[in-house]
Amino acid sequence: MKSVKLFQIALLLLVTMSAGSLAAAQLNSGAQTIALNAKLTESLTLNLSANAVNFTLAAGAASNPGSTNITATTTWVLQPGRTAVGVYAYFTSSTAALTDGAGDNIPSADFYISDNGGASTALTSTVAFGGANAGFQLANVAITGANKNSNRTDAMAFNINLSSLPQLPANTYTGTLNIQAQATP
Amino acid sequence: MSLQTKIVRTMGWWILTVLAVAAASSAQVLNSAAKPIALQAVLSDSVTVQLSANAVDFNLTSGSANNPGNTAITAKTIWTLTPLIGFVSTYAFFSNSTAALTDGAGDNIPSADFQISDNGGAYQALTTTAPFGGANAGLRLFSTLVLGNNRTSSHTDVMSFNINLSSLPNLPANTYTGTLTIQAQAF
Repeated sequence: MKSVKLFQIALLLLVTMSAGSLAAAQLNSGAQTIALNAKLTESLTLNLSANAVNFTLAAGAASNPGSTNITATTTWVLQPGRTAVGVYAYFTSSTAALTDGAGDNIPSADFYISDNGGASTALTSTVAFGGANAGFQLANVAITGANKNSNRTDAMAFNINLSSLPQLPANTYTGTLNIQAQATP
Repeated sequence: MSLQTKIVRTMGWWILTVLAVAAASSAQVLNSAAKPIALQAVLSDSVTVQLSANAVDFNLTSGSANNPGNTAITAKTIWTLTPLIGFVSTYAFFSNSTAALTDGAGDNIPSADFQISDNGGAYQALTTTAPFGGANAGLRLFSTLVLGNNRTSSHTDVMSFNINLSSLPNLPANTYTGTLTIQAQAF
C-alpha cells in the first residue's frame, strides 16, 4: 500500500516536471501582419422592364392608356449616413412633355402615372430632376440600418388625359419620360 | 698500479659518465603541462515566419460569396529546434472574431466570413481558437511533427484570400480595414 502511494507521488512529480519542460520548450515566432483593405463601393441603379410606350389617342378623351406597363427596379448599396432613396419620373419641360414638332404640345399636367396600382397622378411637381412642375415622385424610401442594401419596384401604368386639350390636332406626338433615383443626403 | 695511474683512471671514468649523462639529457623532448580551453557552441532554438507581402485589397460586391483578394501571399516558416520540441505549427488569426475587418462606424466583417485557401486547398473560414489571437478567430495553416530528420527545416504556405458576404446582405458600402496576423509556434 505504501509502495503504491510512493509510486503515485513519483508519477505525479514526473508528469509535473515533464509539463514544465514542455512549457519551457515552447517557442513562438514573431507575429507577421497582413494589412487588409476591402472596399464595398456605393451604388444606386435603376432598371426598366421596357423602354417604349405607345398611346392611341382619342380627341378630348380623358382616358388614353399606354400600350404597356413598365416596371422600374431601383437597387442600392449605400454608405452609412444616407437617410432616403427617392425615385422620380419627369420630363425636361412641363409645357411640352410630348410634341408634334409643329408647335402642338401635350403638357406634363396631362400625362399621368399610376404607380403600383395607385391613383393616376399628373406630373406637375418640381422634383430633383427635370423641368419645373414636370415631375412626380414615385417613391421615397427611408433608409435605416436594415435596408442600406435593398431594392424596390415601381410598376407604372400610363395615361394621357386630353380632356383639357379638345383642340389638339391630329398628329404624332413624341416625348421622353425619364425615371431616375436619388439617395440623400 | 701506481696511485697516479689509479687517480687518472677514476677521473677518466667520471668524465665519461658525465659526458654520457649530458648526451642522454640533450636528446630527450621536454613537454609543458597541458592547459585546457573549454569550447561551447550554442545553436539556439529558433522559429521565424517570413511573408512575401504585407497587404491585400478586396473589391467587394454586396451579398456576393466570391470577393477574392488581389494577391496571394506566401508565408515561409523556418525552424531550428532541439530534440525537446515535438511540433511546429503555423497559424493565421485575427485579434477579434466579430470584427476582423471594420469600417469604424459599427459595421464589421467577422472572421467567419474571411477565408483562406492554403496551398490550393479549399477555402476555410477563420473560426477556430488558435494559440494566438481572439477566440474563434483563427486557422491553423499547417502542423508538422519534428523528428530527427527535420529539426532544421522550413515550410511554405501560399495563401489565397476571399471575403464571403453572402451572410452579410445588408453590409453598407464603405471601406473596411483589418489586420491578419501569421505566427508560428514550436512546442
